Amino acid sequence: MAKHETPMLDQLESGPWPSFVSDLKQEAANRAANPNNLEYQIPVDVVEDILGVLELSFKHGRTHWKHGGIVGVFGYGGGVIGRYCDQPEMFPGVAHFHTMRVNQPGAKFYKTDFLRNLCDLWDLRGSGITNMHGSTGDIIFLGTRTEQLEEIFYDLTHKYNQDLGGSGSNLRTPADCIGQARCEYACYDTQGLCYHLTQEYQDELHRPAFPYKFKFKFDGCPNCCVASIARADMSFIGTWRDNIGIDQEAVQAYIGGELNPNANDHGDRDWGAFDIQKEVIDLCPTECMWMEDGKLMIDDKECNRCMHCINVMPRALRIGQDRGLSILVGAKAPILDGAQMGSLLVPFVKAEDPYDEIKEVIENLWDWWMEEGKNRERLGELIKRQGFQKMLEVTGIKPMVQHVQEPRHNPYIFWKEDEVEGGFDRDINEFRKHHQR
Amino acid sequence: MAFVSTGYDPKEPMKDRITDIGPRKYDEFYPPVIAKNKGKWLYHEVLEPGVLVHVAESGDEVYTVRCGGARLMSVTHIREICEIADKHCDGYLRFTTRNNIEFMVDSKDKVKPLVDDLESRKFDGGSYKFPVGGTGTSITNIVHTQGWIHCHTPATDASGPVKATMDVLFDYFKSHKMPAKLRVSLACCLNMCGAVHCSDIAILGYHRKPPILDHEYLDKMCEIPLAIAACPTAAIKPAKVEFEGQKLNSVAVKNERCMFCGNCYTMCPSMPLSDQEGDGIVLMVGGKVSNRISAPKFSKVVVAFIPNEPPRWPKTTEAIKNMVEKYEANANKYERLGEWAERIGWERFFDICGLEFTHHLIDDFRDPAYYTWRQTTQFKF
Amino acid sequence: MALDYEESKTKIVEKLTKKAKTKSKFYFSDLAKILEAKPREAKKVVNKLVEEQVLELWSSGSTSMYGLKGIGKQASAEQED
Repeated sequence: MAKHETPMLDQLESGPWPSFVSDLKQEAANRAANPNNLEYQIPVDVVEDILGVLELSFKHGRTHWKHGGIVGVFGYGGGVIGRYCDQPEMFPGVAHFHTMRVNQPGAKFYKTDFLRNLCDLWDLRGSGITNMHGSTGDIIFLGTRTEQLEEIFYDLTHKYNQDLGGSGSNLRTPADCIGQARCEYACYDTQGLCYHLTQEYQDELHRPAFPYKFKFKFDGCPNCCVASIARADMSFIGTWRDNIGIDQEAVQAYIGGELNPNANDHGDRDWGAFDIQKEVIDLCPTECMWMEDGKLMIDDKECNRCMHCINVMPRALRIGQDRGLSILVGAKAPILDGAQMGSLLVPFVKAEDPYDEIKEVIENLWDWWMEEGKNRERLGELIKRQGFQKMLEVTGIKPMVQHVQEPRHNPYIFWKEDEVEGGFDRDINEFRKHHQR
Repeated sequence: MAFVSTGYDPKEPMKDRITDIGPRKYDEFYPPVIAKNKGKWLYHEVLEPGVLVHVAESGDEVYTVRCGGARLMSVTHIREICEIADKHCDGYLRFTTRNNIEFMVDSKDKVKPLVDDLESRKFDGGSYKFPVGGTGTSITNIVHTQGWIHCHTPATDASGPVKATMDVLFDYFKSHKMPAKLRVSLACCLNMCGAVHCSDIAILGYHRKPPILDHEYLDKMCEIPLAIAACPTAAIKPAKVEFEGQKLNSVAVKNERCMFCGNCYTMCPSMPLSDQEGDGIVLMVGGKVSNRISAPKFSKVVVAFIPNEPPRWPKTTEAIKNMVEKYEANANKYERLGEWAERIGWERFFDICGLEFTHHLIDDFRDPAYYTWRQTTQFKF
Repeated sequence: MALDYEESKTKIVEKLTKKAKTKSKFYFSDLAKILEAKPREAKKVVNKLVEEQVLELWSSGSTSMYGLKGIGKQASAEQED
């Protein structure tokens, strides 16, 4: 018998898509049965109360959670988000219900022994409810009491060699795509760079000294599966600067229909026979491809590496061999001055351990932003406020036409004194010799 | 319920403290076939919706079975995932950026038993636990935020609308019949802690009423300067108010400047803004993050408001299904939703989708607004 | 030049105590200004002040602020005092 009636939530148990309500009910029953005889450290009926408070929100059309800002683990400014229920008498199990962010492993690969350890820890000391995973990428432990925070952190670090993730004005937990681990498009080792920078910048991740949040995301190619270009203050996107590899036999196999285009992912609809002219050559944004004597030709100098042709014919075309990454900066969601897409800062850099060139760019940007950034100003907004030129100045990067979509629309150039012959100081008397008052 | 100590001593928090160790290293968790062939993959192919094969230079193959699920997940459910991974995949698995679970096996004969096992598992309520799909030109899992399950400023729920939407789109999750991939995302308020602003379809919770002021408690519970500083549009001022004959320190809100973000409520619990009639959903469409063919794009607001309708948000899911079907029927092969809308023109997009255009859909927020107005005589009637 | 810890601590405690009547939480940049130091230098002192429990952190989830430990209205509002 359920502790709270949940007639509205019950309607989310039907339908084919996995029901979180059914899962919560299964967890509530599991805690009640307590098959492993645990000494639960937060109330046994916590999941019943989650269901109860969520049902109440469904009824009221309003949340029943309050924010809390103080709780955390000692010495860290991130990784814990305080939560309290605004109906603690009705739902005592979730009266204090804090979130913990646990830094996920690269590309979210797991072994079951590690996952089970996390489950056992969270079963004993928390609600047993998680997010796999949060939007930024962390493993989210959803709901525990204040006195359990340090205990959980102690076991995570001592037993499982595992740290918390970021929140607040910190470096947020970096996240990467699957990359070279299982993708032929990856132009650099996303896990390698993601892990390296995560370890290098642990202090920035745990102890807030930035004006606001800061995100790194790592995409192995311009397909951008982790959406770095839209949401990371610094996106690292794999690219190459030589030629696309062509296997002409495989091209013919696509044309002849022996191979299905786009890795066979249009299979449930009849799109007609594959037409290389229409589906590849005509859709190339730079029109740098053509057929000649039955061979596919590419003018690689004109290619902008959009990935379309490679995506359509992955067995015939390969990313180039001279690989590295582009760095784009300043992407963010709309709050406050509107959304920003990442802007290209470094067109190409090799991504090789120990990544010194990349770290130099990062640290120059941080020094600038930490000194000049206003409170709650993202890097992208600082770039807008002080100008792209200022960013080039602090990073020592040479301006190049790749930095712009098109040149400026106005001539209001703020010339600096040292750029103008003879400087700004002039003798008025000298001027007056030739120009009367 | 006796307290069980790990060994941590609250009086001496620094004793034996371990900090700054970061996550576990990725390569501890690579399946052997991944560890062996990393960086040496030749090509991949989608065998059927939800099943991929990647082939390496060595000739090795890895078969991946992808299945959907709710990101809100219990330890019991995770243990079941572990059981499946132990049974079929030597104890390895991974999650994707979009909350899918991937089980990998190293030979083709292991695929069918795995798929059959996954598809056979159902919750007591009848829904699938591990529906296989979400690859290629399907509509894959929705990325989303917390909503009413855990957040203090949401304007809608997250898990509820996501479940309702994926039920409606389930057939698309299981098939490859779209012109290109279509990504749906949900953020439960405009702060977008899940950045949804570049999605083919974004479901966004939105408040429409300014905060309620709890004058009696405001100065007791909040620091007024912090509440004022929290406001991104400078709509909050200090104010003296009369309450039961007493003069109290409080704040005043300039309602016409309020953008309904709830940032003041985060700093000051005496300024709640949630409201059953005021809160609801905005639909944004046409964004993308890939650089394929055209540059990444922001999503655009095409439905200014739909009321919250728990438990199944029928108007929201109906509006989404309608746009998905129109896109499916009208877009060219490889064309993303936003590319299709730009090719036919937004006037035609509203036509075809039967959407009403209102003044709410014309941008009037700061500088970028100008760039969205039409500055040409080229338009369609 | 490295900041002197004790001197820095006095500066911060004095300034924050003086302001405590109206405001108990400060951004990191406010602390760096009090110390008249570059952010990276200031951070070393601030980290140590947190470790010694002179300062405590407050987070909105998206931003973080610092205050003198136990000061302010939030602690009692959160029943964590």
